Amino acid sequence: MFEAPAIGKMSPMAKILAYTLLGVWSFFVLFPIYWVVITSFKDMTTVNQGPFYIPFIDFQPTLEAWRSQFNEDPYCTVSAIGRQLWLLVYNSAVFVVSPVVALNPMQPQICKIYLAFTNSFVISIFSTGLCVLVGSMAAYALARIKYAPRFGNIMVFVLLLIIVIFATTYVGAPWWASSSVGLALFFFLLRALRGYFKMSLKNGDILFWIISQRILPPIVVVIPIYVMFQAVGMLDTHLALILLYAVANMPIVVWLMYDFFTNLPIELEESAQLDGATRLRIFWEIVLPLTRPGLAATTLLTLVLCWNEYLFAVFLATVKVQTMPIMVAAKNTGEKGILWWEMCAIIVVMIIPVIIMAILLTRFISKGVLMGAVKG
Amino acid sequence: MQGFDRQAAVRFENVEKSFGDVKVLRNFDLEVQPGEFVVLLGASGSGKTTALRILSGLEKPSGGQVYIDEENVTDVLPKYRDISMVFQSYALYPHKTVADNISFPLKVRGMVKSDMDAATLSAAKQVQIEDLLARYPRELSGGQRQRVALARAIIRQPSVFLMDEPLSNLDAKLRGHMRAQLKHMQKSMGITTIYVTHDQIEAMTLAHRVAILEKGVLQQLATPAEIYNNPANLFVAQFIGSPPMNVVHGSLNEGQFITNGVAIQTSVTGQAEKAIMGVRPEDCSIAASAEGTLSGEIFTNELIGDHALVTVDWGDDQISVKAPKDFAGEQGDTVGIIIHRDSLFVFDESNGQRMR
Amino acid sequence: MTLYTTSRQPTVISAGVTLRNRLGEWVDRHSGTFFIAPCATLILIFAIFPTIYSIFFAVSRVRFTGDGLKFRYVGLRNFSKQFFGSSEVHFLGRTDPVSIFGYTIFVIIVVALLVWLWRSQKYTTWVGMIGRTISAAMAIFLSWILCASFLSGNAIGTLYTTLFYVIIGCTFQFVIGTGLAFLCSQPISGKNFFRVVFFIPLMITPLGVGYAMRMVADVTKGPFEPLLGFLGLSDWIWSVDAWSARFVMMVGDSWQWIPFIFICMLAALENVPGDHVEAAQVDGASSPQIFREIIWPQVLPVAATVLLIRMIEAFKIVDLPNIMTGGGPGTATESMTLQSMYIWRANDMGSSAAIAYLLLILTVVVCASFFNYVVLGQVKKVGA
Repeated sequence: MFEAPAIGKMSPMAKILAYTLLGVWSFFVLFPIYWVVITSFKDMTTVNQGPFYIPFIDFQPTLEAWRSQFNEDPYCTVSAIGRQLWLLVYNSAVFVVSPVVALNPMQPQICKIYLAFTNSFVISIFSTGLCVLVGSMAAYALARIKYAPRFGNIMVFVLLLIIVIFATTYVGAPWWASSSVGLALFFFLLRALRGYFKMSLKNGDILFWIISQRILPPIVVVIPIYVMFQAVGMLDTHLALILLYAVANMPIVVWLMYDFFTNLPIELEESAQLDGATRLRIFWEIVLPLTRPGLAATTLLTLVLCWNEYLFAVFLATVKVQTMPIMVAAKNTGEKGILWWEMCAIIVVMIIPVIIMAILLTRFISKGVLMGAVKG
Repeated sequence: MQGFDRQAAVRFENVEKSFGDVKVLRNFDLEVQPGEFVVLLGASGSGKTTALRILSGLEKPSGGQVYIDEENVTDVLPKYRDISMVFQSYALYPHKTVADNISFPLKVRGMVKSDMDAATLSAAKQVQIEDLLARYPRELSGGQRQRVALARAIIRQPSVFLMDEPLSNLDAKLRGHMRAQLKHMQKSMGITTIYVTHDQIEAMTLAHRVAILEKGVLQQLATPAEIYNNPANLFVAQFIGSPPMNVVHGSLNEGQFITNGVAIQTSVTGQAEKAIMGVRPEDCSIAASAEGTLSGEIFTNELIGDHALVTVDWGDDQISVKAPKDFAGEQGDTVGIIIHRDSLFVFDESNGQRMR
Repeated sequence: MTLYTTSRQPTVISAGVTLRNRLGEWVDRHSGTFFIAPCATLILIFAIFPTIYSIFFAVSRVRFTGDGLKFRYVGLRNFSKQFFGSSEVHFLGRTDPVSIFGYTIFVIIVVALLVWLWRSQKYTTWVGMIGRTISAAMAIFLSWILCASFLSGNAIGTLYTTLFYVIIGCTFQFVIGTGLAFLCSQPISGKNFFRVVFFIPLMITPLGVGYAMRMVADVTKGPFEPLLGFLGLSDWIWSVDAWSARFVMMVGDSWQWIPFIFICMLAALENVPGDHVEAAQVDGASSPQIFREIIWPQVLPVAATVLLIRMIEAFKIVDLPNIMTGGGPGTATESMTLQSMYIWRANDMGSSAAIAYLLLILTVVVCASFFNYVVLGQVKKVGA
């Protein structure tokens, strides 16, 4: 029972042990999810009277929780949602043409769940797009182009930044004034001190700097960002969260894409260079298509991270831009205590997209696409 | 096949390249005439690929200038130099079809689609891959991929053609076939070509002139015949020729090369305490031990096919001789070697230079 | 035969002037800047600038007035409040009386650290020595707090609660995750099923995980109620006792993060060349021996990196304590981020920023130390 029958195979005892342990853990993983799902089909009495485990046998499942989500809110009927879908399209178009033409977005009365869902959806998609685009451009540049920013210049910049902030906070100068003065001073000093500082940083240092941003606990930056957005009136807007989420996830994108880019043979790009292609063209037409699996995996991962984000949303998204996690958390403050069955219904709505994305992601991970990056 | 209108002359002037502390190319001077086929020949690390990449613009030289048609291109970006390059690994874009690969240089220049398609078809016909245009590189064999790379290089009709060991990834039989194709193509198109290889056979068969490099220094620049018959130094002499030239240690004194007590008459003048005599196996013949200039014991007797290669011990050296295929000598037999006086070379052992 | 079958000679073949598009050429020449500028600018605005701005918050007393914010410089008062002032018990925990046991352990640790510092002086540069001194100083400070609070039987504060989640939590997750990965790397069927199933918790919104865990752990209505009744624990409520609350929190966090370790370690284990293992099996080595001698050394670099990444994320924990216990009982399960958030809600922005900064310093020193002494050591050993 304990002997392995052949090289490369397991003894029956070992197999039983392995399957048992794995089975136990699978149960541990799936059970809470199962519990949440069935609780969403329970009603008040079923929940409060103690645990019931199996639908149709232990208890009668109802659609009560699901219906109440939509019924309580008069704006959640099918036709109302249809109208809101149309408004979403319209408002997105307004947003896209806003730099050119200023149109008024239509403000509907919105079904709360629907609002949260679409906010999460819109913010995740746009911030993922921005993050992956900017991040992979930076990663490609770090992989192929040689940088040598001078340490002295960076120190000058940081010093001026501190002075500008000091002026704005303690001296009370308006922020746009001190920033423009600081910027002008920076370019002036850059020119004046040219040739003084020899030591420069290399690509590896820049990469390390970008990736180490991940160590920064978001709580450190949230307060100043709150103040900053309030000063420009961008609090509680989609754009604020989009930009913030993009920055929060950029280190991961840069790290993963850098790894993929360095694994491409450089002759392809050299050949294209000789043929006359600009760097942008090489990036767009040759490099990106070749890293499609890696790009897809990174995009999915970033989408999930944006969807799940909580801290920034709590601070910055107060009314209009509430994302799903905020809405779920808001359910916590009822006078009657938590209505678990309704909470579970919303949680199910919140996690279904993520589970789909997770299943898609495992396909990339099992192909070993993402793991090369961790090894490096 | 219509020749290209522009054939450019290429000139390297005192080009140097260092990577950190390592000097990869030193004082490299080379002039290539329009329409000429020059081969940069050397072992790995000799600097030949570096020189090619400097000419292409993918590397910047640490010193010196590069001229194409008397225009200084040392600081010019690769795409403006009007050159094409075939890489060792062909560098075909895996996600594009053969047709898209070939037409990429034209697409980058914003050519009209109909003209592009016509040009692609032409180039494909020239290398005989016109029925593969819809395939992807991964579906092609090594030889076919190489021809796609060639088609992509010629479609622009550049004034200089660069090739970085294009045949080394092919198997031996295909190599010979492609060698002939390349030579024919270059002759018909008349395009200035710079070709890098470590294979001396390719150099001898393809080149108008060969530039041999070793450790970043140009050893000799001459026609294949000249290099074979008149090597400038010991390295060149030993690098070219298969089987390689024999090397015998001794000293040179007043027209006589003295080795292990035997004096050999030669027309080389000068004195050298330590000299090396070089003689090719085909310039020696086996004779009875009393008749030969030198004599020694047979080390091995290998039948090559059309001749036998007999290796004879001589002191610390060994001399290989091409003998008739029916030569019956055995290991340990004593034989004599006749060295034809006009075909031996003498080199100074201290610097490897040829003495005349 | 001409090269082209059309009679028209394309004019753009010449590489001369027609290629030169002034603006395009200028952009391409500076493509280095253009490619990295967006990334660098965004990080500058949203990460570097706020971090520096936060320092100003942390050293001031900030108030919202009619026309904006008013800053009043108060030096390090917000910080000293955490260590010596009104927030000391909240942040550090109770540090007196210190028991004999506490003192002993502390002395042992200090001696060990000083010996380590002395020894490493011989083979590191002076920059390295500065780094090591900082790590040692942090270690001494943390051990003092540990010995004075926990090891002396006193209550701990948010500092050590956070460290509990990080150190104990990560170790627990690492051991289980690697164990699962090892099991899954054996020749068993259904690997892909396990891979997908085990991966899902990582992707679920932490908020959802928090509520799910809270429900599952509920002692009156949750699924374990009959089990607890059977064990005679029906009166036990985990959320009332500080340590059981922390433990349950850690379990919830582990549920979510073990998949991460699992996925990474599984990939690493699968990358160990099969020939090495087979050769050892032919030589007659037993499974534990093979694991210890052959497999483990090869996955060590990945293991160290994975642990580092997990620790970096663990320091930021906030969703779970907020949802599962609201930081309770009292402040027992509050992580530093949560504490900072609650202080912000109470409108004391200065202290909030101060705690955030202390968290930053803690994270950077601990993670940098771990990276330098463990990760780099492993990577160098394997020569990766």
